[in-house]
Amino acid sequence: MDIAALNEKYVGLEFDEVHFDIETEPMVEFAEACGETLPKFTDPSDPDFQAVPSYTARFHGGRALPEGFPIVQEKNFDGGKTVEWKAPIRAGDRLTGRSHIHDIFEKTGRSGGMMFIVHRMEFTNQNDELIAIVDWKMIQKLG
Amino acid sequence: MILDLHSHSIVSDDSRAKVENYCQWIRKKAIPVDGFVLTEHRLYDDVSDYSALGRESGLLILKASEVETDYGHVLVFGVTDALRRTFDFGEIGLPLEKVVHESARHGAIAVPCHPGRTKVGMCAHIETRGEPEGVQVIETLNGGSRGNENDEALALAERKGYHRIGGSDSHIVSHIGRCATRFEDEIHDMDELVAALGAGRCEAIRLEDGAWISLP
Repeated sequence: MDIAALNEKYVGLEFDEVHFDIETEPMVEFAEACGETLPKFTDPSDPDFQAVPSYTARFHGGRALPEGFPIVQEKNFDGGKTVEWKAPIRAGDRLTGRSHIHDIFEKTGRSGGMMFIVHRMEFTNQNDELIAIVDWKMIQKLG
Repeated sequence: MILDLHSHSIVSDDSRAKVENYCQWIRKKAIPVDGFVLTEHRLYDDVSDYSALGRESGLLILKASEVETDYGHVLVFGVTDALRRTFDFGEIGLPLEKVVHESARHGAIAVPCHPGRTKVGMCAHIETRGEPEGVQVIETLNGGSRGNENDEALALAERKGYHRIGGSDSHIVSHIGRCATRFEDEIHDMDELVAALGAGRCEAIRLEDGAWISLP
């Protein structure tokens, strides 16, 4: 796997755009599933009602990787997500999620060589305000 | 003087620990260390300045690197701009002997870490590649080791006469200070640390029930 060539070809390439309508009930369910107790996350009548900061982690785009990206599915596993919160999500918002490959790098661990692919999804609301950046790491075992 | 010589902050891709939180944790839990070294994966953090935080918290905070070689992972203490120009810290599979040699040539020291660990420790590679030249010090106590990985590291150090260090390999705040290195002298900066490691004026120790335990 030529990591430098993959970087050159794919990093920065935007390959997906999806839209999400934000509804009250799933916001409350998600907050409760997270163990939240603050009314601003659990009570729609709270004047500052909003989604929990990690809410965008639940959303997936239309595709995980750009078309043609060389991945071996049986050697691929999920490396988790990091959410960088930027602004509140309110009920009734319409979010747009745009995906690009943010980084590709190699490392070694107990299980051998691995390639990390960082799928970055940037979420904006109907006012084009950036509300969250979600980095999803996909790990491909090498060798 | 006791320093945790192996730790990672959010600058590393796989750590969630903020340096400020390491300091708070050490003070809150009264962990008996005088400081720690940030050994970020495959890079040297030349941006962050922890000198004010160190003064405020009464801890020595130094910066180093953990690079990846054909003999596994290696800590590099005393990184300089000139040393960084001699090999790419971001590469995996760097030749260990080059890392050791160039480090020494630039006043730094390269220390293979968790040598007993599968695939990324030196012991596994000695069987296939032979004994590397130039190694003086290895990490015999690593806080992230499993099973007998630290025993294998100690056996290697005894067989080869290597000097020994310890480090927590912490990636989360609560793991800082699980293992550390006791120095015979006071260490104030990286130059003194490198000198003490090269002279072997140190020992690997691990924290057990709030007290430091020395290896045999």
